[in-house]
Amino acid sequence: MKEYISNNQKETAQIANDLADRLEGGELIALSGNLGAGKTVFVKALAKALKIKEQITSPTFVLMKVYDIHSVKSSHMRGAAEPQFNGVKHKKADKFVHVDCYRLRGQDDLYDIGLGDYLNYDNIIVAIEWADKIVNLPERTIRVDIKLLEGDKRKITILWPKN
Amino acid sequence: MKILAIETSCDETAVAVIKGSGSFLVLEKNIVYSQVDIHTKYGGVVPEVAARKHAETIIPLLEEITGKNKLAGIDYLAVTAGPGLITSLILGISAAKTLAYANNKPLMPINHMEGHIYSNWLSNSELVKNPKKYFPALVLIVSGGHTELVLMKGHGQYFLLGQTLDDAVGEAYDKVAKLLNLGYPGGPIVSRLAESGDGQKYDFPRPMMDKKNFDFSFAGLKTAVLYALEKKKKLNQQDVKDVCASFQTAVTDVLTTKTFKAVKKYKVKSLLLAGGVSANSFLKASLASRAKEIDLPFFYPELKFTGDNAAMIAVAAYYNIKDKKKDILPAKKVFSLGPQSNWQLTKNKI
Repeated sequence: MKEYISNNQKETAQIANDLADRLEGGELIALSGNLGAGKTVFVKALAKALKIKEQITSPTFVLMKVYDIHSVKSSHMRGAAEPQFNGVKHKKADKFVHVDCYRLRGQDDLYDIGLGDYLNYDNIIVAIEWADKIVNLPERTIRVDIKLLEGDKRKITILWPKN
Repeated sequence: MKILAIETSCDETAVAVIKGSGSFLVLEKNIVYSQVDIHTKYGGVVPEVAARKHAETIIPLLEEITGKNKLAGIDYLAVTAGPGLITSLILGISAAKTLAYANNKPLMPINHMEGHIYSNWLSNSELVKNPKKYFPALVLIVSGGHTELVLMKGHGQYFLLGQTLDDAVGEAYDKVAKLLNLGYPGGPIVSRLAESGDGQKYDFPRPMMDKKNFDFSFAGLKTAVLYALEKKKKLNQQDVKDVCASFQTAVTDVLTTKTFKAVKKYKVKSLLLAGGVSANSFLKASLASRAKEIDLPFFYPELKFTGDNAAMIAVAAYYNIKDKKKDILPAKKVFSLGPQSNWQLTKNKI
């Protein structure tokens, strides 16, 4: 578990960036925190670090959005050594799914919106906001909790799964 | 021509039939399976029920709207293909494809946002009668899931000028209502309470108002309200009304200012409002007043067409077909149509 104190959005973005560097594909990130804590800000920074070109907007009403990650996979030459892309190691992920449970009741709803099509795939990274509404998240879930402190200050706790 | 349209991009299941020829448009039938009752019961959209509802209601709605003559008089089918929630979109698309194939009717896929733009044609006969007089038009689309400024040069010719970078306007209203514990649906409640509140009491930020682009951002406004509430600790009834009013004033300020900056820059001939939040009287009044100052025609849809509905999809299809703006899918080729959950109106540089 790692605890961070962020003084502003820029610092939060840096923390998200560090997390993104450790992602390869197949991960499930669960975000919790009250309204206004900065869950979407965190996800936006995460997406930027994953080099997603599209604007990440709040999926509260549409519930789930899927984005392409423009990894270097497509330009990988057969037989070549592990490709480098701006100094970042080759990653497997080529899709990013952003879910928002704010309007959902629980577990079953997640499957009804089609999340099942994106979970447990090596090439897909899933981030779920208001994940604390979901009870049986898999053990491999990376949990990010954001707590409001005074003003723009936040306490961000990242809990990595045991392994 | 007669068009039957299906809309299932998010929470609503809707079907409609319109008849059009030249500059003559009649809405023959319009059914919207409003799921608000279900929402109130569960305190928010319950997709399990909503998705099941789409599957349960689409057939009865189609049977209701076609009657014993089925698709006999229908020339074209239309369906919302995106943007929206993929599972919801698929239901409407599957129904449309099957109907098209089985009855040998061509199918026109329509963009949901384009539908909202055309909700104005349902409520303003002026737009129908004088097709060229109001182009180029500027359209402000504001709903729970979307906030966009679109330049409409003509039928089927859109340029996305800007959009929200985070929360949509409707969503911001909803979340402020949540912060104030106001119940569901939050937006209209905030708006109602704002009527007897002081819009200047809290100086909430007007995000991105001075930026040269036409993008919006409402997440910061949401947190400003949150911070104000934390500071205040305890709120009485008048405080709640003042927060609502001040929030609404800030949102309206941003929307109005940026909209009219675009009006000026693109020298448009009319302003159109669309989307669920177009029901907001405060916003309508603000835009109307600025429009009047410069003699700019201003249009907005009737209340019943502000939310998601299939009538607007049918009208969008009518103009796309009539002006040959898009390729229509022949009955035998409909199976290639899939949901496009991120389908955006054109974002070309002008």
